[in-house]
Formats: sequence, C-alpha cells, structure tokens
Amino acid sequence: MSAGQALRPAAPAPARRFSLTPAQIRFSTLLRREVSRFLKIKRQTLGAPLLETFLYISVFGAALGSRIQQLDGIDYVLFITPGLILMAWAINAFSNNSSSILQQKFQRAIDDQLSSPASPLELLLAFSLGGFLRGLIVSLITFVVAWLLIGLPVVNAVVLLTALFLVGFFFSQLGVLIGVRAEQFDDVSFAQTFVLQPLIFLGGVFYSASLLPEPFQTITHFNPVYYMIGLVRYGFLGYEEVDVGLSLAVLSLATAALFAVNLRLFKTGYRLRA
Amino acid sequence: MGKMQFDPDIAGNGCAPASPNAPALDVADLVKRYPTGTEALKSVSLAIQPGEFFGLLGPNGAGKSTLIHCATGLAQPTSGSIEVFGHDAIDHYGHARLAVGLAPQDLNLDWFLTLEETLDFHGGYFGMRKRDRRERTKELLDAFSLTEKREERTRTLSGGMKRRLILARALMHRPRLLILDEPTAGVDVELRLELWQYVQRINEEGTTILLTTHYLEEAEQLCDRIAFINDGEIVARGTPDELASEYDVGSLEDAYLKLVGRSELSRAKVEAVLP
Repeated sequence: MSAGQALRPAAPAPARRFSLTPAQIRFSTLLRREVSRFLKIKRQTLGAPLLETFLYISVFGAALGSRIQQLDGIDYVLFITPGLILMAWAINAFSNNSSSILQQKFQRAIDDQLSSPASPLELLLAFSLGGFLRGLIVSLITFVVAWLLIGLPVVNAVVLLTALFLVGFFFSQLGVLIGVRAEQFDDVSFAQTFVLQPLIFLGGVFYSASLLPEPFQTITHFNPVYYMIGLVRYGFLGYEEVDVGLSLAVLSLATAALFAVNLRLFKTGYRLRA
Repeated sequence: MGKMQFDPDIAGNGCAPASPNAPALDVADLVKRYPTGTEALKSVSLAIQPGEFFGLLGPNGAGKSTLIHCATGLAQPTSGSIEVFGHDAIDHYGHARLAVGLAPQDLNLDWFLTLEETLDFHGGYFGMRKRDRRERTKELLDAFSLTEKREERTRTLSGGMKRRLILARALMHRPRLLILDEPTAGVDVELRLELWQYVQRINEEGTTILLTTHYLEEAEQLCDRIAFINDGEIVARGTPDELASEYDVGSLEDAYLKLVGRSELSRAKVEAVLP
C-alpha cells in the first residue's frame, strides 16, 4: 500500500449518445452479480441440471416409453417432456435464489448490496431474476434438444410463454423467500427435498392425473404444480387437462402475492438487516 | 495527491450536501431496540463535522457497530433520525448512502468474486459508469498493493489482504464520509501502520472519517474528537485532552478505563505495583 500515491478524482464522463442512468447501472450490476455467480460454477448450476433432465427423458421416455407407448393418444416421451422443462426451470430458479441469498447472508457479503443506494424493489428483482435466468437457460437448452430429437411441438405459444414465465417467476420468488428466511443450509435443502420436489413429482410430470385412482386424483387437484404442468403441457401439446384461463389467473395471483410478501420482507429488512 | 472529489455525474448527483453547513453525520435521539427487548442504542445524539477525524470508542457491546449499522442501512432504527451531509439516511436514503463508505469489522467478502469484481460490482451498486469503475479499480488495487492478485478469488487472500480490499471497496465510490469499524482488528503491526497512514492521508484530502477502534493510543493520535459510548449511550465527547481532563486522568486510555470501571488496569497503577 502506498499512502503517498494519489487517488485521482473521477474523470468527467465523456458525452455519449446512449448512457445508462445511475439507477440502471445499479440494477444491471446487481443482476450481473447474480448471473456471474451461477456462470462461475456452470458445471454445477447448468451442467448438472441439464444432465439430470436428459437422464429423466432417457429413463422415463426411452426406457419406460417403450412399454407405455402413449398416454391419452400422445407419445409418452412427448407427454413428459413439457413437465420436465417446467421442472428444470422451477428447481433451478428456486435453488439458485435460495442458495445465493443464504450464502451471501452467511458471509455477510450481502451487506455490500444492502448498504448501497439500491431500493428494496431493485434488490428483490435482481435476486429474483438471477434464478429466473438460470432456469430459462436450462429450460431453453432442454427445449431445443427435445425439439431436435423428438420433435416437441409448440401448439399455443402465448399460453406456453405466459405459463413458463409465470412459473419461473413464481419459483424465483419462492427461492428468494426461503433464502431470506433460512438461517442454515439445511433449511434450504429441507424446503427443496421435502416440499418442492414432492409437489413437482406428484403434480403429474410423469403421468396424467386422470389416470390416478381416487382419492389420489382429487388430492392432486390441491397441488398447485398440477395446474402449472397442465398449462405448460397445453402450451406445448394442446393437451387440455386443466382450465387454462382459470389456472393462468390463479398462477398470476399466486405469483403476485408471493412477490408482494418478498417486497415487504426486503422493505422491513426481515432477516437481512438487524 | 490531489484532493479527492466526488463527481456528481458518477453517482447520480446524490452526494452534494443538502445545505452548505450540514454536518457529515448528524444523529439525533437514535433508539435501536431489538425484538428481544434489548435496547442497543438509547437516544443517541451525535454530530460529526465535514473533514473531521472522529473516534467512537467503547467496550464490546456498547453500541458502536449498531450505530454504524443504523447509519449505513444495515440496521433499522426504532426511532430517531440520521442525516448524512443533510440527507436523510433512514427512509429516503439514496443520497445519504452515496456519500458513505463502510469498511466493516467483519471480513465480509464474497468468496465467488475476484478482487477486480469485488470493486467493480461495488462501484456498479453506487451507479459508477464502466469506464470510471475500471480506472478506479486499477487505481485502488495499485494503491493497496493488490494488483498482482486482481484476478484471484477473495477467499485465497490472507487476512491482511482481505482487510486492505475491504478498505479499497469502501473507497471505491469516492465517499465523503468513510466509516471504519475496527479496521485493524487482527492485522499485523506493519499493515496497521500503513492503514493509519493511508486513512490520515485521505482525511487530509477532505474525507470525513468515523473510526471505531480498541487501539486507544492510535485514536488519541488520529482523532480530532472522540465520543465514548457505553451501554447504548454517549457518555462523553470532546478532544482527547478534553476527555482526559473531564475524567481527571492523564491519558485517553485512563479516561476509557475509568469509563468502563477498570481504573485498576491503568498503566501507571500497574507499573507501580510491578517489582
């Protein structure tokens, strides 16, 4: 360290046609930090989920599919792929955000963002979009590969994109909520293993709920993920198992409610600020 | 070294004082009560003038860090007000935060980031433009002798290097008020002296410093004014000489020992009983 070395004042910014405002720079940096975190460990954050998704497609689609052939007139491998794409987005969005927030809380590195001029809304959106984008990347790659290999169609792009974006944002919010509430890494893995994965697996990724005997068919209707899978499956395949309009409306409301809860937590500093 | 200045364009016009005579930090009737009922700050009032080197001393758990956390948004005050250069630092904190740089007591670096990224992201959080961030990062890494390590992740650094990086990060956005919360805790003598030399220099250049430390001789040498905080209350304030005379002792250290009720540990008394 050289105490005598000059620290120069800021040079005047050159005039430019397009330049970001300080608020835009702040938000893009907060988001860049979240994206760079998962890109630095992409074997774990992108490679592993992709491998997992393709293993599901191979085992359930190719191996089991040769026995089941079709479900409600749709090739089994095609039937399960929309749910797998949803599952990839949901789990990646959730685990990214929950672990990123908890890790930064654990190291208290999050204080750097919390003591900046960033607003609670900017902080929440940046943390949310980190996981959202990770889920988007994994899902997009899965979709492109599924489209090339098994000809996965897109029957209703509007419903599909709306549903997937809502699902991605919903699980991003859920990840943020768990990350903020968590005090140890066990809290995050508990939520993922004992709540999230059972809900997704029992929501009908690998089967149609209409095939289940009672009371399991009725019980499935209380699982919110069932409606999410129904929407995404409708968007890809045109297979209508749920009321599309009602499911979209409920999913939108649930996502908005979760976002409102998280915004409240960021505003009050719950388990973030002393 | 030229006077450090804050370019309003760099950080969104957020750093100009609200009024020309506004204190660098003005804390009034600040109360911080935790949900457990513990009152960490009991109606604390404190004003630090621009350009001052101000020391906040007190035993562990006295409320020093809580006060700093309230001023920097890391803790929510229960009541009272905090202003930084005349800008509200609690509810509409945007302008106030731009003017404050915090070097916390904990080595709170993100293990995933390199040294360059640590500074670059921090500058981004404060709205600095890319070119300015790049230049400032290079300048600070050079100034703190960290350039060789710039592409390494922070977890690979020694404790002393982490401490230097934390100070560099606090200075990244050119704050007008630098808050140093026990910046030399656990560092070797050489680095401690270097840090003090550096901090003195930026104070001479116009940056206001709020320092907490357990090294009383250094506080005595460095600080223009000092406040003693104990059990969540400011119990005395003044220049080191004023404090010594208020407590009717010969040094700041003895005044401090009297404050915490441990006068028997005074060097004069200990030397007197040693064979």
